[in-house]
Amino acid sequence: MSLPRKQKKETVDLTFWHKRHGVIYSRKGGWVVGEAVYNHGYSMMDELVGKASFFQVLILNVTGRMVERRLADWLENIFICLSWPDARIWCNQVGSLGGTMRTSPVAAVCSGVLAADSPMYGSAPLLAASQFIVDALLKKNKGMPVAEIVKLQQRRPGMPPNIVGYARPVASGDERVPAMKRVSSELGYTSGEHLTLAFEIEGFLLEKFNESMNIGGYIAGFLSDQEFNPQEIYRMCSMVVNSGVHACYVESMENPPESFFPLRCDDIDYQGVPSRPVPARG
Amino acid sequence: MGDEKIQVRRRDLKFATRTVTKIWEEVPSAHNPFLAERCRCHGYDLFGLIRTRSFIDVLYLLFRGELPSPEQAQMIESLMIGLINPGPRHPATRAAMNAGVGKTNSVHILPIALSVLGGAYLGGEEVEAAIRFIRQNQSREAALVAEELLATRNNGEGDCHIAPGFGSRFGGIDPVPQELAVLLCSLPACGKALRWGTDFVNALGREGMGWLASGVAACVFCDLGFQPQAGAGLFQLFCAPGLLAHGLELASPYKSIAAMPFLDEEHYVIAPEAKKRNR
Repeated sequence: MSLPRKQKKETVDLTFWHKRHGVIYSRKGGWVVGEAVYNHGYSMMDELVGKASFFQVLILNVTGRMVERRLADWLENIFICLSWPDARIWCNQVGSLGGTMRTSPVAAVCSGVLAADSPMYGSAPLLAASQFIVDALLKKNKGMPVAEIVKLQQRRPGMPPNIVGYARPVASGDERVPAMKRVSSELGYTSGEHLTLAFEIEGFLLEKFNESMNIGGYIAGFLSDQEFNPQEIYRMCSMVVNSGVHACYVESMENPPESFFPLRCDDIDYQGVPSRPVPARG
Repeated sequence: MGDEKIQVRRRDLKFATRTVTKIWEEVPSAHNPFLAERCRCHGYDLFGLIRTRSFIDVLYLLFRGELPSPEQAQMIESLMIGLINPGPRHPATRAAMNAGVGKTNSVHILPIALSVLGGAYLGGEEVEAAIRFIRQNQSREAALVAEELLATRNNGEGDCHIAPGFGSRFGGIDPVPQELAVLLCSLPACGKALRWGTDFVNALGREGMGWLASGVAACVFCDLGFQPQAGAGLFQLFCAPGLLAHGLELASPYKSIAAMPFLDEEHYVIAPEAKKRNR
Protein backbone atom coordinates (compact mmCIF):
# COMPACT_ATOMS: atom_id res chain seq x y z
CA MET A 1 0.00 0.00 0.00
CA SER A 2 1.00 3.61 -0.18
CA LEU A 3 -0.51 6.63 1.48
CA PRO A 4 -1.94 9.53 -0.56
CA ARG A 5 0.66 11.93 -1.80
CA LYS A 6 0.71 15.69 -1.23
CA GLN A 7 -2.15 17.56 -2.81
CA LYS A 8 -2.03 21.22 -1.85
CA LYS A 9 0.55 23.83 -2.81
CA GLU A 10 3.17 24.07 -0.08
CA THR A 11 4.79 27.24 1.16
CA VAL A 12 7.57 25.63 3.22
CA ASP A 13 10.14 22.98 2.33
CA LEU A 14 8.65 19.66 3.34
CA THR A 15 11.22 17.42 1.64
CA PHE A 16 12.27 15.87 4.94
CA TRP A 17 8.69 14.92 5.77
CA HIS A 18 7.67 13.73 2.31
CA LYS A 19 10.70 11.44 2.19
CA ARG A 20 9.39 9.64 5.25
CA HIS A 21 5.73 9.73 4.31
CA GLY A 22 4.20 6.32 3.71
CA VAL A 23 7.50 4.47 4.21
CA ILE A 24 9.33 2.96 7.18
CA TYR A 25 13.12 2.81 6.86
CA SER A 26 14.95 0.43 9.16
CA ARG A 27 18.61 -0.12 9.83
CA LYS A 28 17.67 -2.68 12.46
CA GLY A 29 15.93 -5.28 10.36
CA GLY A 30 12.53 -6.80 9.75
CA TRP A 31 10.53 -9.59 8.25
CA VAL A 32 10.68 -10.26 4.53
CA VAL A 33 7.78 -12.65 4.19
CA GLY A 34 8.85 -15.97 2.72
CA GLU A 35 12.53 -15.01 2.85
CA ALA A 36 13.88 -14.33 6.33
CA VAL A 37 13.60 -12.30 9.50
CA TYR A 38 16.61 -10.03 9.53
CA ASN A 39 18.20 -8.57 12.64
CA HIS A 40 21.28 -6.37 12.32
CA GLY A 41 22.67 -8.40 9.46
CA TYR A 42 21.71 -11.79 10.87
CA SER A 43 19.00 -14.11 9.65
CA MET A 44 17.30 -14.75 12.97
CA MET A 45 16.04 -18.26 12.35
CA ASP A 46 19.29 -19.40 10.72
CA GLU A 47 21.94 -17.58 12.73
CA LEU A 48 20.53 -16.56 16.10
CA VAL A 49 17.91 -19.04 17.27
CA GLY A 50 19.66 -21.90 19.02
CA LYS A 51 23.05 -20.27 18.52
CA ALA A 52 22.99 -17.01 20.48
CA SER A 53 21.71 -16.51 24.00
CA PHE A 54 18.68 -14.33 24.78
CA PHE A 55 20.94 -11.71 26.35
CA GLN A 56 23.25 -11.67 23.33
CA VAL A 57 20.24 -10.91 21.16
CA LEU A 58 18.96 -8.34 23.67
CA ILE A 59 22.28 -6.49 23.51
CA LEU A 60 22.28 -6.85 19.72
CA ASN A 61 18.83 -5.30 19.48
CA VAL A 62 19.71 -2.45 21.81
CA THR A 63 23.19 -1.61 20.56
CA GLY A 64 23.67 -3.31 17.20
CA ARG A 65 26.64 -5.23 18.64
CA MET A 66 26.85 -9.00 18.80
CA VAL A 67 28.85 -9.48 21.97
CA GLU A 68 30.65 -12.59 23.12
CA ARG A 69 28.60 -15.06 25.13
CA ARG A 70 30.34 -14.39 28.44
CA LEU A 71 29.36 -10.71 28.36
CA ALA A 72 25.74 -11.67 27.76
CA ASP A 73 26.00 -14.13 30.66
CA TRP A 74 27.41 -11.33 32.81
CA LEU A 75 24.37 -9.15 31.99
CA GLU A 76 22.05 -12.05 32.74
CA ASN A 77 23.53 -12.20 36.22
CA ILE A 78 22.85 -8.47 36.62
CA PHE A 79 19.19 -9.14 35.86
CA ILE A 80 19.25 -11.76 38.62
CA CYS A 81 20.91 -9.32 41.04
CA LEU A 82 18.27 -6.64 40.50
CA SER A 83 15.17 -8.82 40.62
CA TRP A 84 14.32 -9.81 44.18
CA PRO A 85 11.04 -11.42 45.23
CA ASP A 86 10.57 -8.92 48.09
CA ALA A 87 7.15 -7.28 48.07
CA ARG A 88 8.35 -4.32 50.14
CA ILE A 89 10.52 -3.04 47.29
CA TRP A 90 8.51 -0.33 45.59
CA CYS A 91 8.40 -1.72 42.06
CA ASN A 92 7.73 -5.23 43.34
CA GLN A 93 4.85 -4.00 45.45
CA VAL A 94 3.31 -2.56 42.29
CA GLY A 95 3.39 -6.12 40.97
CA SER A 96 1.76 -7.40 44.17
CA LEU A 97 -0.94 -4.76 43.96
CA GLY A 98 -1.59 -5.71 40.34
CA GLY A 99 -1.94 -9.33 41.34
CA THR A 100 -4.29 -8.60 44.20
CA MET A 101 -6.47 -6.57 41.82
CA ARG A 102 -6.34 -9.37 39.23
CA THR A 103 -4.58 -7.54 36.42
CA SER A 104 -2.94 -9.54 33.69
CA PRO A 105 0.69 -10.53 34.40
CA VAL A 106 1.79 -8.29 31.55
CA ALA A 107 0.07 -5.24 33.05
CA ALA A 108 1.52 -5.90 36.50
CA VAL A 109 5.06 -6.55 35.29
CA CYS A 110 5.04 -3.57 32.91
CA SER A 111 3.76 -1.36 35.74
CA GLY A 112 6.48 -2.61 38.07
CA VAL A 113 9.14 -2.04 35.43
CA LEU A 114 7.81 1.50 34.93
CA ALA A 115 7.97 2.06 38.68
CA ALA A 116 11.67 1.16 38.66
CA ASP A 117 12.35 3.87 36.09
CA SER A 118 13.19 6.13 39.02
CA PRO A 119 16.21 8.25 39.82
CA MET A 120 16.24 6.59 43.27
CA TYR A 121 16.60 2.93 42.29
CA GLY A 122 16.10 0.41 39.47
CA SER A 123 17.09 1.13 35.90
CA ALA A 124 17.16 4.93 35.61
CA PRO A 125 20.17 5.51 37.93
CA LEU A 126 22.31 3.54 35.49
CA LEU A 127 22.15 6.45 33.06
CA ALA A 128 23.41 8.97 35.61
CA ALA A 129 25.91 6.53 37.14
CA SER A 130 27.38 5.76 33.71
CA GLN A 131 27.54 9.41 32.77
CA PHE A 132 29.29 10.12 36.07
CA ILE A 133 32.00 7.51 35.64
CA VAL A 134 32.61 8.45 31.99
CA ASP A 135 32.98 12.13 32.96
CA ALA A 136 35.08 11.21 36.01
CA LEU A 137 37.53 9.23 33.87
CA LEU A 138 37.89 12.16 31.48
CA LYS A 139 38.69 14.37 34.46
CA LYS A 140 41.13 11.86 35.91
CA ASN A 141 42.90 11.53 32.57
CA LYS A 142 43.32 15.30 32.56
CA GLY A 143 45.05 15.01 35.91
CA MET A 144 42.26 15.61 38.42
CA PRO A 145 42.76 13.60 41.63
CA VAL A 146 39.94 11.42 42.99
CA ALA A 147 39.42 13.71 45.99
CA GLU A 148 38.75 16.59 43.63
CA ILE A 149 36.36 14.54 41.48
CA VAL A 150 34.39 13.68 44.62
CA LYS A 151 34.49 17.24 45.89
CA LEU A 152 32.71 18.43 42.74
CA GLN A 153 29.74 16.30 43.79
CA GLN A 154 29.47 17.82 47.26
CA ARG A 155 26.91 20.54 47.87
CA ARG A 156 28.88 21.80 50.86
CA PRO A 157 32.33 20.90 52.18
CA GLY A 158 32.18 18.06 54.68
CA MET A 159 28.79 16.86 53.46
CA PRO A 160 28.59 13.40 51.88
CA PRO A 161 28.66 13.80 48.11
CA ASN A 162 25.64 12.82 46.08
CA ILE A 163 27.04 10.46 43.46
CA VAL A 164 24.73 8.10 41.61
CA GLY A 165 26.32 4.67 41.83
CA TYR A 166 27.39 5.05 45.45
CA ALA A 167 25.35 4.53 48.65
CA ARG A 168 21.75 3.23 48.53
CA PRO A 169 18.45 4.21 50.17
CA VAL A 170 17.64 1.60 52.83
CA ALA A 171 21.00 0.06 53.76
CA SER A 172 24.69 0.78 53.60
CA GLY A 173 26.86 -1.66 51.70
CA ASP A 174 25.66 -3.69 48.72
CA GLU A 175 25.91 -7.49 48.74
CA ARG A 176 25.37 -7.55 44.97
CA VAL A 177 28.74 -5.95 44.26
CA PRO A 178 30.92 -8.78 45.68
CA ALA A 179 28.57 -11.31 44.07
CA MET A 180 29.09 -9.70 40.68
CA LYS A 181 32.82 -9.32 41.29
CA ARG A 182 32.89 -13.08 41.72
CA VAL A 183 30.89 -13.58 38.50
CA SER A 184 33.19 -11.21 36.61
CA SER A 185 36.23 -13.07 37.85
CA GLU A 186 34.75 -16.46 36.95
CA LEU A 187 34.01 -15.18 33.46
CA GLY A 188 37.61 -14.05 33.11
CA TYR A 189 37.08 -10.29 33.30
CA THR A 190 39.53 -7.88 34.88
CA SER A 191 38.83 -4.25 35.76
CA GLY A 192 39.26 -1.72 32.99
CA GLU A 193 39.88 2.01 33.36
CA HIS A 194 36.33 2.94 34.34
CA LEU A 195 35.86 0.21 36.91
CA THR A 196 39.31 0.78 38.37
CA LEU A 197 38.47 4.45 38.87
CA ALA A 198 35.08 3.50 40.29
CA PHE A 199 36.84 1.44 42.97
CA GLU A 200 39.28 4.26 43.67
CA ILE A 201 36.33 6.56 44.26
CA GLU A 202 34.74 3.92 46.48
CA GLY A 203 37.95 3.69 48.52
CA PHE A 204 37.90 7.44 49.06
CA LEU A 205 34.19 7.46 49.99
CA LEU A 206 34.63 4.56 52.42
CA GLU A 207 37.46 6.32 54.16
CA LYS A 208 35.84 9.74 54.34
CA PHE A 209 32.10 9.03 54.50
CA ASN A 210 31.73 5.27 55.13
CA GLU A 211 29.74 4.90 51.90
CA SER A 212 30.43 2.24 49.30
CA MET A 213 29.68 1.53 45.68
CA ASN A 214 26.24 0.16 44.87
CA ILE A 215 25.40 -2.28 42.10
CA GLY A 216 24.52 0.61 39.77
CA GLY A 217 28.02 2.02 40.13
CA TYR A 218 29.50 -1.40 39.45
CA ILE A 219 27.35 -1.93 36.35
CA ALA A 220 28.21 1.54 35.07
CA GLY A 221 31.96 1.04 35.48
CA PHE A 222 32.00 -2.48 34.05
CA LEU A 223 29.81 -1.79 31.01
CA SER A 224 31.60 1.49 30.26
CA ASP A 225 34.79 -0.58 30.09
CA GLN A 226 33.00 -2.75 27.54
CA GLU A 227 32.59 0.39 25.43
CA PHE A 228 28.87 0.85 25.88
CA ASN A 229 27.69 4.44 26.25
CA PRO A 230 25.40 5.56 29.10
CA GLN A 231 22.23 5.44 26.99
CA GLU A 232 23.04 1.91 25.81
CA ILE A 233 23.61 0.78 29.39
CA TYR A 234 20.29 2.27 30.53
CA ARG A 235 18.47 0.75 27.56
CA MET A 236 19.83 -2.77 27.92
CA CYS A 237 18.82 -2.75 31.60
CA SER A 238 15.30 -1.35 31.02
CA MET A 239 13.61 -4.55 32.19
CA VAL A 240 16.09 -5.37 34.92
CA VAL A 241 13.50 -5.75 37.72
CA ASN A 242 11.22 -7.95 35.60
CA SER A 243 11.38 -11.24 37.43
CA GLY A 244 11.22 -9.82 40.97
CA VAL A 245 8.02 -7.97 40.08
CA HIS A 246 6.67 -11.11 38.50
CA ALA A 247 7.30 -13.20 41.62
CA CYS A 248 5.40 -10.68 43.75
CA TYR A 249 2.56 -10.54 41.22
CA VAL A 250 2.20 -14.30 41.21
CA GLU A 251 2.12 -14.58 44.99
CA SER A 252 -0.65 -12.03 45.44
CA MET A 253 -2.51 -13.41 42.42
CA GLU A 254 -2.63 -16.78 44.15
CA ASN A 255 -4.26 -15.27 47.24
CA PRO A 256 -7.81 -13.88 47.54
CA PRO A 257 -8.41 -10.54 45.78
CA GLU A 258 -7.46 -7.39 47.71
CA SER A 259 -5.93 -9.51 50.48
CA PHE A 260 -2.39 -8.27 49.85
CA PHE A 261 -1.44 -5.94 52.72
CA PRO A 262 -4.98 -4.52 53.19
CA LEU A 263 -5.29 -1.13 54.85
CA ARG A 264 -7.84 0.00 57.41
CA CYS A 265 -9.15 3.55 57.10
CA ASP A 266 -7.06 4.61 60.10
CA ASP A 267 -3.89 3.29 58.47
CA ILE A 268 -3.96 6.51 56.46
CA ASP A 269 -3.07 9.58 58.46
CA TYR A 270 -5.28 12.38 57.14
CA GLN A 271 -3.69 15.71 57.92
CA GLY A 272 -5.72 17.94 55.60
CA VAL A 273 -8.46 20.51 56.05
CA PRO A 274 -11.15 19.49 58.58
CA SER A 275 -14.68 18.77 57.42
CA ARG A 276 -16.37 21.86 55.94
CA PRO A 277 -19.66 22.56 54.13
CA VAL A 278 -19.62 22.55 50.33
CA PRO A 279 -20.30 26.09 49.06
CA ALA A 280 -22.91 26.55 46.35
CA ARG A 281 -21.62 27.44 42.89
CA GLY A 282 -20.97 31.14 42.46
CA MET B 1 37.83 -9.42 41.36
CA GLY B 2 37.94 -12.25 43.87
CA ASP B 3 35.56 -13.44 46.59
CA GLU B 4 34.91 -11.10 49.48
CA LYS B 5 32.33 -10.45 52.16
CA ILE B 6 30.70 -7.11 52.65
CA GLN B 7 28.88 -5.67 55.63
CA VAL B 8 25.35 -4.67 54.70
CA ARG B 9 23.61 -2.75 57.45
CA ARG B 10 20.13 -1.28 57.59
CA ARG B 11 20.33 2.48 57.74
CA ASP B 12 18.84 4.32 60.66
CA LEU B 13 16.17 5.68 58.37
CA LYS B 14 12.84 6.41 60.02
CA PHE B 15 10.03 5.21 57.78
CA ALA B 16 6.54 6.57 58.40
CA THR B 17 4.30 4.25 60.39
CA ARG B 18 1.28 5.54 58.48
CA THR B 19 1.05 7.18 55.06
CA VAL B 20 0.04 10.81 55.35
CA THR B 21 -2.39 12.57 53.00
CA LYS B 22 -3.89 16.03 52.94
CA ILE B 23 -6.18 15.18 50.03
CA TRP B 24 -8.69 12.58 51.06
CA GLU B 25 -10.22 11.61 54.37
CA GLU B 26 -11.99 8.33 54.79
CA VAL B 27 -14.21 7.95 57.83
CA PRO B 28 -14.37 4.26 58.78
CA SER B 29 -17.60 2.38 59.00
CA ALA B 30 -18.63 1.68 62.59
CA HIS B 31 -18.81 -2.03 61.80
CA ASN B 32 -15.80 -2.54 59.54
CA PRO B 33 -12.60 -0.49 59.74
CA PHE B 34 -11.63 -1.61 56.23
CA LEU B 35 -14.68 0.15 54.73
CA ALA B 36 -15.19 3.90 54.51
CA GLU B 37 -18.56 5.34 55.44
CA ARG B 38 -17.81 8.93 54.35
CA CYS B 39 -15.19 10.37 52.04
CA ARG B 40 -14.05 13.97 52.06
CA CYS B 41 -11.92 15.75 49.51
CA HIS B 42 -9.97 18.53 51.16
CA GLY B 43 -12.67 18.68 53.80
CA TYR B 44 -15.70 18.59 51.45
CA ASP B 45 -18.05 15.63 51.63
CA LEU B 46 -18.00 13.65 48.39
CA PHE B 47 -21.78 13.51 48.16
CA GLY B 48 -22.06 17.23 48.83
CA LEU B 49 -19.70 17.79 45.91
CA ILE B 50 -21.69 15.44 43.68
CA ARG B 51 -24.88 17.35 44.44
CA THR B 52 -23.64 20.88 44.02
CA ARG B 53 -20.39 21.11 42.05
CA SER B 54 -19.15 20.25 38.56
CA PHE B 55 -16.55 17.65 37.66
CA ILE B 56 -14.11 20.45 36.73
CA ASP B 57 -14.59 22.03 40.18
CA VAL B 58 -13.76 18.78 41.95
CA LEU B 59 -10.83 18.06 39.66
CA TYR B 60 -9.32 21.43 40.51
CA LEU B 61 -10.07 20.91 44.21
CA LEU B 62 -8.32 17.55 44.17
CA PHE B 63 -5.06 19.01 42.91
CA ARG B 64 -5.11 22.54 44.33
CA GLY B 65 -6.88 22.03 47.63
CA GLU B 66 -9.55 24.69 47.06
CA LEU B 67 -12.53 24.99 44.73
CA PRO B 68 -11.85 27.11 41.65
CA SER B 69 -13.45 30.44 40.84
CA PRO B 70 -15.88 30.29 37.89
CA GLU B 71 -13.18 31.92 35.75
CA GLN B 72 -10.58 29.29 36.71
CA ALA B 73 -13.08 26.49 36.08
CA GLN B 74 -13.85 27.97 32.66
CA MET B 75 -10.13 28.02 31.84
CA ILE B 76 -9.63 24.37 32.78
CA GLU B 77 -12.72 23.22 30.96
CA SER B 78 -11.66 25.10 27.82
CA LEU B 79 -8.19 23.57 27.95
CA MET B 80 -9.66 20.11 28.54
CA ILE B 81 -11.86 20.43 25.46
CA GLY B 82 -8.92 21.80 23.49
CA LEU B 83 -6.75 18.83 24.41
CA ILE B 84 -9.45 16.16 24.44
CA ASN B 85 -8.17 14.44 21.32
CA PRO B 86 -4.63 14.68 19.96
CA GLY B 87 -6.14 13.28 16.75
CA PRO B 88 -5.79 10.04 14.79
CA ARG B 89 -2.33 10.90 13.38
CA HIS B 90 -0.72 11.62 16.74
CA PRO B 91 1.77 8.90 17.77
CA ALA B 92 0.03 8.37 21.12
CA THR B 93 -3.32 7.90 19.40
CA ARG B 94 -1.73 5.59 16.89
CA ALA B 95 -0.34 3.53 19.78
CA ALA B 96 -3.93 3.21 21.06
CA MET B 97 -5.12 2.31 17.56
CA ASN B 98 -2.39 -0.30 17.16
CA ALA B 99 -3.46 -1.83 20.45
CA GLY B 100 -7.09 -1.69 19.36
CA VAL B 101 -6.66 -3.20 15.91
CA GLY B 102 -4.34 -5.86 17.36
CA LYS B 103 -7.17 -6.79 19.74
CA THR B 104 -4.96 -6.09 22.74
CA ASN B 105 -6.68 -6.57 26.08
CA SER B 106 -8.93 -3.49 26.12
CA VAL B 107 -7.79 -2.41 29.59
CA HIS B 108 -4.31 -1.88 28.17
CA ILE B 109 -5.31 0.60 25.46
CA LEU B 110 -5.18 3.68 27.67
CA PRO B 111 -1.95 2.84 29.58
CA ILE B 112 -0.21 2.05 26.29
CA ALA B 113 -1.25 5.33 24.70
CA LEU B 114 -0.51 7.37 27.82
CA SER B 115 2.99 5.92 28.01
CA VAL B 116 3.67 7.23 24.52
CA LEU B 117 2.09 10.54 25.51
CA GLY B 118 4.49 10.75 28.45
CA GLY B 119 7.50 11.48 26.27
CA ALA B 120 9.83 14.43 26.20
CA TYR B 121 8.52 15.34 22.73
CA LEU B 122 4.97 16.77 22.72
CA GLY B 123 4.18 14.72 25.81
CA GLY B 124 3.96 14.92 29.56
CA GLU B 125 7.71 15.30 30.05
CA GLU B 126 7.72 18.26 27.69
CA VAL B 127 4.83 19.87 29.58
CA GLU B 128 6.75 19.51 32.84
CA ALA B 129 9.87 20.98 31.25
CA ALA B 130 7.81 23.79 29.71
CA ILE B 131 6.35 24.75 33.08
CA ARG B 132 9.86 24.97 34.52
CA PHE B 133 11.03 26.99 31.49
CA ILE B 134 8.15 29.46 31.82
CA ARG B 135 8.61 29.80 35.58
CA GLN B 136 12.30 30.54 35.09
CA ASN B 137 11.83 33.03 32.28
CA GLN B 138 8.50 34.80 32.63
CA SER B 139 10.02 37.66 34.59
CA ARG B 140 12.27 38.41 31.62
CA GLU B 141 11.32 40.06 28.36
CA ALA B 142 9.97 37.31 26.10
CA ALA B 143 11.51 38.73 22.92
CA LEU B 144 14.95 38.78 24.53
CA VAL B 145 14.65 35.17 25.67
CA ALA B 146 13.57 34.20 22.16
CA GLU B 147 16.48 36.07 20.63
CA GLU B 148 18.99 34.31 22.92
CA LEU B 149 17.57 30.90 22.17
CA LEU B 150 17.39 31.50 18.42
CA ALA B 151 21.06 32.51 18.45
CA THR B 152 22.02 29.08 19.81
CA ARG B 153 19.57 27.19 17.64
CA ASN B 154 20.79 23.86 16.33
CA ASN B 155 19.67 23.40 12.73
CA GLY B 156 19.37 19.64 12.67
CA GLU B 157 16.99 17.47 10.68
CA GLY B 158 13.33 17.46 11.60
CA ASP B 159 11.55 19.93 13.82
CA CYS B 160 13.04 22.34 16.29
CA HIS B 161 11.67 22.90 19.78
CA ILE B 162 13.46 26.13 20.59
CA ALA B 163 12.22 25.75 24.16
CA PRO B 164 9.99 23.11 25.75
CA GLY B 165 6.44 23.74 24.52
CA PHE B 166 7.43 26.00 21.63
CA GLY B 167 8.64 25.18 18.15
CA SER B 168 7.72 23.80 14.75
CA ARG B 169 5.70 20.75 13.84
CA PHE B 170 6.21 19.01 10.50
CA GLY B 171 8.23 21.98 9.35
CA GLY B 172 5.58 24.58 10.14
CA ILE B 173 3.48 26.31 12.76
CA ASP B 174 0.72 24.03 14.02
CA PRO B 175 -2.51 26.05 13.59
CA VAL B 176 -4.69 24.40 16.25
CA PRO B 177 -2.50 25.22 19.28
CA GLN B 178 -2.19 28.81 17.99
CA GLU B 179 -5.97 29.19 17.86
CA LEU B 180 -6.38 27.47 21.22
CA ALA B 181 -3.89 29.87 22.81
CA VAL B 182 -5.68 32.89 21.33
CA LEU B 183 -8.99 31.61 22.66
CA LEU B 184 -7.59 30.92 26.13
CA CYS B 185 -5.92 34.35 26.21
CA SER B 186 -9.35 35.92 25.72
CA LEU B 187 -10.72 34.29 28.90
CA PRO B 188 -10.89 36.23 32.17
CA ALA B 189 -8.53 33.75 33.92
CA CYS B 190 -5.73 34.36 31.41
CA GLY B 191 -2.63 35.11 33.47
CA LYS B 192 0.96 36.13 33.19
CA ALA B 193 2.24 32.85 31.72
CA LEU B 194 -0.21 32.75 28.81
CA ARG B 195 0.52 36.39 28.02
CA TRP B 196 4.27 35.79 28.25
CA GLY B 197 3.93 32.73 26.02
CA THR B 198 2.06 34.81 23.45
CA ASP B 199 4.86 37.41 23.42
CA PHE B 200 7.42 34.61 23.12
CA VAL B 201 5.55 33.05 20.18
CA ASN B 202 5.24 36.43 18.46
CA ALA B 203 9.01 36.74 18.66
CA LEU B 204 9.43 33.24 17.16
CA GLY B 205 6.91 33.58 14.36
CA ARG B 206 9.37 34.76 11.75
CA GLU B 207 11.36 31.55 12.28
CA GLY B 208 8.47 29.23 11.48
CA MET B 209 7.85 28.26 15.07
CA GLY B 210 4.94 28.80 17.42
CA TRP B 211 2.84 27.29 20.18
CA LEU B 212 2.86 23.55 20.65
CA ALA B 213 -0.01 21.91 22.52
CA SER B 214 2.42 21.11 25.32
CA GLY B 215 3.30 24.81 25.66
CA VAL B 216 -0.31 25.97 25.75
CA ALA B 217 -1.10 23.44 28.46
CA ALA B 218 2.02 24.40 30.42
CA CYS B 219 1.07 28.10 30.43
CA VAL B 220 -2.45 27.35 31.65
CA PHE B 221 -1.08 25.10 34.39
CA CYS B 222 1.36 27.84 35.40
CA ASP B 223 -1.39 30.45 35.54
CA LEU B 224 -3.56 28.17 37.67
CA GLY B 225 -0.74 27.40 40.09
CA PHE B 226 -0.13 23.74 39.27
CA GLN B 227 3.28 22.29 40.01
CA PRO B 228 5.42 21.09 37.06
CA GLN B 229 5.03 17.41 37.99
CA ALA B 230 1.25 17.79 38.12
CA GLY B 231 1.33 19.36 34.66
CA ALA B 232 2.85 16.23 33.12
CA GLY B 233 0.14 13.93 34.39
CA LEU B 234 -2.74 16.37 33.87
CA PHE B 235 -1.72 16.74 30.23
CA GLN B 236 -1.93 12.96 29.87
CA LEU B 237 -5.28 12.95 31.67
CA PHE B 238 -6.77 15.70 29.52
CA CYS B 239 -5.69 13.99 26.27
CA ALA B 240 -6.82 10.55 27.45
CA PRO B 241 -10.42 10.58 26.16
CA GLY B 242 -9.41 10.93 22.52
CA LEU B 243 -6.72 8.28 22.82
CA LEU B 244 -9.18 5.81 24.30
CA ALA B 245 -11.94 6.63 21.80
CA HIS B 246 -9.69 5.97 18.81
CA GLY B 247 -8.28 2.80 20.35
CA LEU B 248 -11.75 1.47 21.06
CA GLU B 249 -12.95 2.35 17.57
CA LEU B 250 -10.40 -0.08 16.14
CA ALA B 251 -10.84 -2.62 18.95
CA SER B 252 -14.36 -3.24 17.75
CA PRO B 253 -14.99 -6.90 16.93
CA TYR B 254 -16.27 -5.71 13.56
CA LYS B 255 -12.81 -4.33 12.67
CA SER B 256 -10.32 -6.92 11.51
CA ILE B 257 -6.56 -6.70 11.98
CA ALA B 258 -6.47 -5.50 8.37
CA ALA B 259 -8.36 -2.31 9.29
CA MET B 260 -5.10 -0.36 9.53
CA PRO B 261 -2.24 -0.16 7.02
CA PHE B 262 0.44 -2.86 7.24
CA LEU B 263 3.18 -1.81 4.86
CA ASP B 264 4.26 -4.12 2.07
CA GLU B 265 7.96 -4.87 1.43
CA GLU B 266 8.17 -1.98 -1.03
CA HIS B 267 7.29 0.46 1.73
CA TYR B 268 9.17 -1.23 4.58
CA VAL B 269 12.71 -0.58 3.52
CA ILE B 270 15.38 -2.61 5.29
CA ALA B 271 18.87 -1.22 4.90
CA PRO B 272 21.21 -3.65 3.07
CA GLU B 273 23.55 -3.83 6.07
CA ALA B 274 20.66 -5.05 8.24
CA LYS B 275 20.20 -7.98 5.85
CA LYS B 276 23.79 -9.01 5.46
CA ARG B 277 26.56 -8.16 7.80
CA ASN B 278 30.16 -7.86 6.68
CA ARG B 279 31.80 -10.49 8.80
